[in-house]
Amino acid sequence: MEDRRTVRKRNSGERGLALLAALALGLYLVFLVLPLLLSLRSSFTNENPLKAQNDFIGLANYTEMAGDDQLRASLTFTLILAFGVTIAANALGVGFALLLNRTSLSYRVMRTVAFLPQVLSGVIVAFVWQTILTQNGLLNTALVNLRILDEPYPWLGSPHAALFSIGLVVTWVMSGFTTVVYLAALQSIPLELHDMASLDGVRGTQRFRKITWPMLAPGTTISVTISLITVLKLYDIITVLTGGGPANSTQSTALYIVKLAFTSDRVGYASAVAMLLLGISALVALTVTGALRRREVSL
Amino acid sequence: MIRKPLLAAGVAGLLALTAACGSGDGGGKESGETALTYLVFETPSLDAKFWDDSITAATTQTPGVKINKIVAPSTDRDGYAKQLQQSGQFPDLLQSITPSNFVGAGLLKPYDKTWIDANFLLPSANSLKGEVYIPPTNSQIVPQVYYNKKLFTDAGITTAPKNWQEFLDACAKLKAKGINPIELGGADPFAASMPLVGIISADILGKNKNWLQDRYADKVKFADADMVTAVNKYRTLVTSGYFDKGALGVKYADSITRFTTGKSAMYPMGSWFLGSVPKDTADNFGSFPWPTDSGDVVVPFVGGGSMAISAKAKDTALAEKFGQAWSLNPANLKALIETDGAFPMIKGKTLEDYNVTVTKVFEESYAYVGQDNNKVSAIGWATNDDALPAGLNDAFYAAAQALFTKDDVAGELKKLDEAWKTAAQ
Repeated sequence: MEDRRTVRKRNSGERGLALLAALALGLYLVFLVLPLLLSLRSSFTNENPLKAQNDFIGLANYTEMAGDDQLRASLTFTLILAFGVTIAANALGVGFALLLNRTSLSYRVMRTVAFLPQVLSGVIVAFVWQTILTQNGLLNTALVNLRILDEPYPWLGSPHAALFSIGLVVTWVMSGFTTVVYLAALQSIPLELHDMASLDGVRGTQRFRKITWPMLAPGTTISVTISLITVLKLYDIITVLTGGGPANSTQSTALYIVKLAFTSDRVGYASAVAMLLLGISALVALTVTGALRRREVSL
Repeated sequence: MIRKPLLAAGVAGLLALTAACGSGDGGGKESGETALTYLVFETPSLDAKFWDDSITAATTQTPGVKINKIVAPSTDRDGYAKQLQQSGQFPDLLQSITPSNFVGAGLLKPYDKTWIDANFLLPSANSLKGEVYIPPTNSQIVPQVYYNKKLFTDAGITTAPKNWQEFLDACAKLKAKGINPIELGGADPFAASMPLVGIISADILGKNKNWLQDRYADKVKFADADMVTAVNKYRTLVTSGYFDKGALGVKYADSITRFTTGKSAMYPMGSWFLGSVPKDTADNFGSFPWPTDSGDVVVPFVGGGSMAISAKAKDTALAEKFGQAWSLNPANLKALIETDGAFPMIKGKTLEDYNVTVTKVFEESYAYVGQDNNKVSAIGWATNDDALPAGLNDAFYAAAQALFTKDDVAGELKKLDEAWKTAAQ
């Protein structure tokens, strides 16, 4: 039989845990579920931030989306960027992780450096890259001075180059995260597997293909899914680098939503677009996670 | 057993969070004074010290007021004001906003017209349906064409162009001499639109001052033939290579540096550029109005101004008094004239009264304000009845950037008509 002190101690521990859980639940409800529900409600109205009264308009906002060219363009841009960055950042992440998977001090320092872009604020990263990529920026100055280019190239001033430039910057940021995920995954591979492979004469790319890559599968699932979701809702870097230009060609869906709500005063329609983005993000995340999980099992 | 405490703590947590989230409004009575919130924005010229000093001066003249300054996170104070309104924190006073965005919702209180008429040169410069929500303390010309006299001389151009053909000739001569004719900070959408603002204001509004009112009444369209012809002039400038090929990658701030350091010969920009003219080389710069075919002078004009008053301010009379004191303080205008190229519009005062040091090109540009000429609303910049519907500026800027690379003038203008339809709903 437990004595009273033990029971009291256990009850007090449970209360402490309950308090923490309640706080987390409260935060989740107030800052995630509630705004989501409010946004969903708003998507069925013609809400305008400047008007006190708004009307319920049913599915009008959702039907309007079908003919919205700007929305279509922003979704296309966002999806291209999301998949492009996810592939590039994960490839780089695996590469960097393989290079940095050592235990000496210098490698630990380099790991920290590799993670640095992920720690910096997106706005700061974008400002730094802006000084590099603008017409009179460091990159053009270097390329022209080295006579690689005759005249400055519009890295942010033409639709295709701006897409590439944004992709490059976001990949740089995301590769810090993917590197750390793959490093953790690499370090969880039992050394015995590599030892046995060595004994069997399996080396180099074959060892990577047969052992390392399959064992990285759980890390791949996390890294790919989070990369995709992060880029699908990207706002800050694009806003600073190009503001969605030139001519809205780099306008992400998140940026379009903000412009709709606070420039065009169409909060209701912006909420409907936000719901669509949420749906697309959920669909993409579920599909990709499902596929990668199945791959984990089959490996 | 864990469920009860979990539920209780959950409710408590939620209540605590709700209480924490219930914001104070930043205003109210504070030790006998009425606290008012005042939305301002900072730029390199209008820095924190400028606002603090100007608030202190106006507060001294308005007993009983205490100002709580709110600084907009960017120069887009309209957007920020809307966000504040959305979260129930609409400021009591709002500096340099676009009143037309807020008047429809009944959020602003007009100034006393007698006071406006008594104190300003153009009392109706900012007028919206007969009411004035922002005292017209100053004005701008958007755009004027600034030019580098030395580069003009180098290219054999002896006088500033007076009409469109002379303008094209000057561009051709400059290009032939290896000088970039026109500077464009195309990476910033508003700056990218400057040539288009000039062309439309001069060629369309110059011939029909009421064009924007007619557009509201659906009597004219952007896709009309005269507009297409006018906007094709912009394509002529682009296809002739009179802008830097990479102009859409040039930031507005860089475009100022490029022009003032002689990288380009001409710079169509709002007259706020005058605040950036380097003092030591100021005499090397001149200005002329955006040229028309006939050579008739058209001045795309914008009534600038100080602050608007929230109709929901705690004490609207006190807020108005503060706004009046701030608006008539010559020290505030001095800073705006010297650093922001603002043309003062207070009655009975000359430049000397503001104790300002201005350049020759400033005086040259300011002369167009006082002259009896064809002043029209600068499209996209007007803060009066000619203001564009909310959201249309973005579409206009996007069209300007698109037309830098696309030939489809009629298509882009049709898009503007479609955007207008949505925005005006």
